[in-house]
Amino acid sequence: MLIENILINGAILGGLYALLAFGFTLIYGVSGVVNLAHGAFFMIGAFIFSALGPFLLSILGPLGVTSTVIPLLALILAAIFVGIAGSIVYRLTIHPILGDEVAIMVVTISVALIIQQLVLIGFGFSAPVTPFVSGSIKIIGVSVTYMKILAFVLSLGLFVGLWAFINYSKIGAAMRAVSQDHEVAMLMGVNTETLYMLTMAISTAFATLAGVFFTSALLAGQAVPHMWLEPLWASFAIVVLGGLGSIKGTLVGAFIIAYVEHLVAAVFVSQGGVIVRAIPIATMVLILLVRPKGLFGKRIEME
Amino acid sequence: MITAYLKRAYSSFAAHVFDVPPRLLAFLLFVLHLVLPVAKPDPFIQLTVFDIFFLAAFAASWDLLVGRSGQISLGHALFFGIGGYTTGILSVNLGLAPWITIPLAVLVGVSASLLIGLPCSRVKGPYLALVTMALPLILVQLFKLDLLLPITGGEAGVGILLPIIPSAFFRMLGFGSRDAIRAVALATYYFALFLVFAASVILYKIANSKTGMVFVSILDDELASKACGINVTRYKLMALAISSLFAALIGAIRGHFATIVSPGRFLDLTVSFAPVMVAFLGGIGTIYGPLIGAYIYYTLDRFVLQKMTQIPFLAFTDWEHVRFLIFAVIVIVLVIKWPRGIARFVTDKLHDLEEARDLDERGKWIWKTYKKRKKKE
Repeated sequence: MLIENILINGAILGGLYALLAFGFTLIYGVSGVVNLAHGAFFMIGAFIFSALGPFLLSILGPLGVTSTVIPLLALILAAIFVGIAGSIVYRLTIHPILGDEVAIMVVTISVALIIQQLVLIGFGFSAPVTPFVSGSIKIIGVSVTYMKILAFVLSLGLFVGLWAFINYSKIGAAMRAVSQDHEVAMLMGVNTETLYMLTMAISTAFATLAGVFFTSALLAGQAVPHMWLEPLWASFAIVVLGGLGSIKGTLVGAFIIAYVEHLVAAVFVSQGGVIVRAIPIATMVLILLVRPKGLFGKRIEME
Repeated sequence: MITAYLKRAYSSFAAHVFDVPPRLLAFLLFVLHLVLPVAKPDPFIQLTVFDIFFLAAFAASWDLLVGRSGQISLGHALFFGIGGYTTGILSVNLGLAPWITIPLAVLVGVSASLLIGLPCSRVKGPYLALVTMALPLILVQLFKLDLLLPITGGEAGVGILLPIIPSAFFRMLGFGSRDAIRAVALATYYFALFLVFAASVILYKIANSKTGMVFVSILDDELASKACGINVTRYKLMALAISSLFAALIGAIRGHFATIVSPGRFLDLTVSFAPVMVAFLGGIGTIYGPLIGAYIYYTLDRFVLQKMTQIPFLAFTDWEHVRFLIFAVIVIVLVIKWPRGIARFVTDKLHDLEEARDLDERGKWIWKTYKKRKKKE
């Protein structure tokens, strides 16, 4: 019973973590930016989704659009909105100091704090993010809600889709070229500035999707403005574990972290739940000390 | 004739003003702080300057590590917190006096830094930054375990620490109870002043000594310094140990003044980022820059933004959030505008000015000789 529980819930958490960490690794791999505001985009995405749902219902409800389509529409709109906001934030704050790692970290953490405060002012202390579908099913003796399954399937699908986009599209080829050598890529006619902005938009849009899935499937359907720090730790633990800038490493790292988290939670259940929060980072630190560049670590690896 | 004389006088004056020796500047700053409580006996200003001192010294220790030896640490709260917690646990549980617990706290901080530094010296760049950022957060989670809860106090923290300067001492000297409190406040201020100036001067001397030059050489090119026969790992560990020594010392003393050591004020992410922001505002790699940065930080926080709450139009309910927001925006703008800090900006400008003056004089001289030659021909 316990093992099945760990197996199923760990897999679901791993899928969501992979989606969350993809954006983080993508922007690092392409432009070398360690974006500490990634968790903040995750958080604001959930809030915007929760605000868009009722809004869309009030507009499209009378037109006869069914209520099952509206959450998906809200999800897509929220992702687009946050993606545009992310690329604007990138252009205004990160672009002028590109190349200075410590300055970028200071600036992005300030951006995260600004987003947190804006959400506190604009949305208040919490917002409901209701699951798109209700009901649950039993898989090998563990009851799993349909929302969790939907979130898992969608996040893995999106992960594979983005991976294919990077590997087989023209823009993806440009991204790989820039990550290898941005000066040569510029000489070959790649507009790096636009490409960085596009990458940031994709990265933040994926953070938004992850945020909506997380809050609706795992976090009891409540988004709070302080929930940016934990996904940030998780995503950078995953990304560093797998090797910064490596997509394969992200997928492997996400599942490792998720399973370790569930295992430790099962073992330390008597010690109170707080220890779980330190698990992603502790795992990351331990693996980094054995392999200083992560499991699949190279600056440039986009296969 | 007179204009030429005036010009020469001005240029000599400018040369003297622009080339004020740093020693004189530091001395003037020290004297200014020395007479501040006498000249303006405002307890609010005294308290603010007291906070500025602690933040400046903490940030200076960070600056030696990051600005000089190039090991990006975003978790300096670890050493600060270890200092505070060690002295707190020892003095609360065992009832030891501060003059025993503070050196012990420093010892624990330095040994912790060596323990961490040995494996961390393998990790570089953004990886190191992320690992160091994680360490204080792990420590907080460890402190919140049920097993350690009776010792560490969890979220509430360790309390109540004995004061370093007890008011009983002043009462013994014959002060009234109200006078004794004021005397303690004054003594606290001077204690912090001397501590911070001593720490800053020592850090500055270390940074500009032969060892400090080795640190800079590692920052500039690790491979080249290795090729020159420098034991890079040893010097990196040395930088970390010196930096953590000061951080733990300042954390321990801060713990005694705050009377309660809690995770929110000693191990939080904001505690790790305060020295980073301050060093960035003041000038990274200068050691004295953080003092300027701390002044900007606290002046903005305590005098500008808090005063703005008293304007009736702006005093709406969630002002606290807006204040935070404005501060974050200011930090972003300052970091983008002056990525090397204000102190570096000013020194660079002065350097440029000097160079321009030199070029100007040289140009004039060339022009004159050229004209003379033309006349002769």
